[in-house]
Amino acid sequence: MELNRRKFLKIGTAAGGAAACSLSSPALARDEREPDPNWYGMLNDSTRCIGCKACQVACKKENKLPAESTIGDEKAFGQAIYDSPRELSEKTFTLIKMHQDEQTKETTFVKQQCMHCVDPACQSACIVGALKKQPDGSVKYDAGMCMGCRYCMVACPFSIPQFEWHKAIPSIKKCTLCSETRLSKGQPTACSSACPAGAITFGKREDLIKLARKRIEAEPERYLDHIYGEKEVGGTGVFYLTKPNVAFAGLGLQDFEYKAVSGLTESIQHRIFQYFIPPIAVYSILGGIMAYNQRRKKAAGKLGGDDEY
Amino acid sequence: MSIKAAPLQQKFITPNFWVLIFFMVSGAGFAYFRFFEGFGSVTNMSKAYPFGLWIAFDVACGVALAAGGFTTAAIVEIFGREKYHALVRPAILTAFIGYFLVGLAVFFDLGKYYNIWHALIYWNGTSVLFEVAWCVMLYLTVLGIENIPNVVEQFSGRVNLPGPLSGFNRLGNWILSKADWFTKKTMAFFVIAGVVLSFGHQSSLGTMMLIAPYKLHDLWYTPMSPLLFLTSAVSVGPSMVIFEGTLAAKFFGRKPETELLGSFAKYIPLFLGTYLLLRFLDLAYRGVLAQAFDGSVAGYSFLLEIALFVIPYFALKSKNVRQSGTKLFLCALSVICAVVLNRFNVFLIGMDMGSNWNYFPSVGEFAVTFAFLALGVMMYKIAVNYLPILEEEH
Ligand code: SF4
Repeated sequence: MELNRRKFLKIGTAAGGAAACSLSSPALARDEREPDPNWYGMLNDSTRCIGCKACQVACKKENKLPAESTIGDEKAFGQAIYDSPRELSEKTFTLIKMHQDEQTKETTFVKQQCMHCVDPACQSACIVGALKKQPDGSVKYDAGMCMGCRYCMVACPFSIPQFEWHKAIPSIKKCTLCSETRLSKGQPTACSSACPAGAITFGKREDLIKLARKRIEAEPERYLDHIYGEKEVGGTGVFYLTKPNVAFAGLGLQDFEYKAVSGLTESIQHRIFQYFIPPIAVYSILGGIMAYNQRRKKAAGKLGGDDEY
Repeated sequence: MSIKAAPLQQKFITPNFWVLIFFMVSGAGFAYFRFFEGFGSVTNMSKAYPFGLWIAFDVACGVALAAGGFTTAAIVEIFGREKYHALVRPAILTAFIGYFLVGLAVFFDLGKYYNIWHALIYWNGTSVLFEVAWCVMLYLTVLGIENIPNVVEQFSGRVNLPGPLSGFNRLGNWILSKADWFTKKTMAFFVIAGVVLSFGHQSSLGTMMLIAPYKLHDLWYTPMSPLLFLTSAVSVGPSMVIFEGTLAAKFFGRKPETELLGSFAKYIPLFLGTYLLLRFLDLAYRGVLAQAFDGSVAGYSFLLEIALFVIPYFALKSKNVRQSGTKLFLCALSVICAVVLNRFNVFLIGMDMGSNWNYFPSVGEFAVTFAFLALGVMMYKIAVNYLPILEEEH
């Protein structure tokens, strides 16, 4: 039963993929994309994070990212100089920030990074397909293909992709899940290896969800009974756990619906271009009207056409 | 009944010419920094506003405002309203210039502009932008073809290249006669293709921001957006024809064609009425209208946009307004402003990309945008001066 369903889905995705590749073949209205249980990802347990930023350091080291000046913001922070970046940027792919739950006022350290979505909005949006979900679960960016249009930045519900605003030839920058630098060598992500508090667990999607569920079951007083990312925006590759008195919104993780954000745009596009019927139909109707009007003009003794343009 | 269009052949270097040059040069100055020092050195775009003035105005508004081409072509060529024949050539010309500028603006806005051709070879069918890019590219080609007859008519059999190039005169004439033959045979095909392609990308621009359901304000986030973008583009088409026609008459010292334009303006309430009906049905159905009155910037911007749409809709129903050159012009201007504001609302003002972030275009961004506009006006000036675009005064 289970096998049958999976097989069916595989055929479905294969057909969908083929359709997406070629405009001339029919574009199917897309089903929800099913996650592959073998994709790698991470579980960020916010109840364990101690805010030491070791992961941030490891990430900078792994990706050879330069230090970032954070001078400024005097108005917002009361002092002009501060030691840690406050936002993700082209030089900072992951960030530990303290968040506060609006209602309970409870504070938590939270790691921010690319979620390596199951059905990534950035991939759907990219005009040339420079962002792609990889078999290892990471969402990879190809700087050589990219045109720099920044539509991915608009599309990503987590506003993760960053642009090199200060380079003559800018690229998009974001967390790679260490796909090429470490995963390909059988190593876990740099941030998860660096975490001294065991707040970041690297592993396969399936195992991570099991682990998260076990943690919640074992200590129900410690956790809110929800795994963020299992279903949000159609599923992500990075999951979060939170304290019972902190909503995920209190971690800066929005309360997203359980479906991919690209569902609407893709189905509109597909409906318009399905089998090219709508454009052809419009073309034929307009052609018919034009022919009719020209015949009518001829019948009236006026020759239309020769000096039209 | 048909009066021949003819080149204006006026004195070309006027004070206005220098004004245009000034804008183009200052834009080019800022463009240097954009290309060699990065966006950060000229623009105010940021992680929260990855799309700035260049996308919202030059591209989104540019495409909408160039809709005069396909709407006029459809009305005259397809629906056979011969009466407005005189409006077709200038409309097709401005559409061509408009799309050319859109292409140029995209080139400026792309981080890796030299990869612009990747849209041709790497296809991502799920991307709305992919479809927009293809339609715009194809439509620009179609517009180019639609403008060929103007060149042919002026130079066919009369190619007279200066000095040593005169050896190519025969070749030039031959090419023109072939082009003439080709366009005469295929024009109907291209006219319709232009309309279909316009339908495609005008509506897809409305689909674009729907990929961000959690960022775009409810007042504009609707599955109807593509249809609304299309119908608003159709409404602004005739308005642009009136706007440009009036200005061209003024600046080239010609008699304004108020009668013709006023009659053409009849289409605006028709199109605009359809648009507003769809718009209000959609707002009512989704029950979001109350958000317009919540005192937010987006709310006020929405109200202003609607006012700019509604006022000319009612005004243009009156014959009185349509027959007065100034009132007609103001109504057309109002529709144009409404569409511009609508595009800004969808691409910038209605986009909430996180608190603490604001965006207002920088001097450099404005300068580049003005340079594009100046270039467009210059191209128009050159074209009407040397090609048979405008009909002789009657
Ligand atoms: S979080 Fe954003 S950048 Fe990362 S995969 Fe999802 S959509 Fe793409």
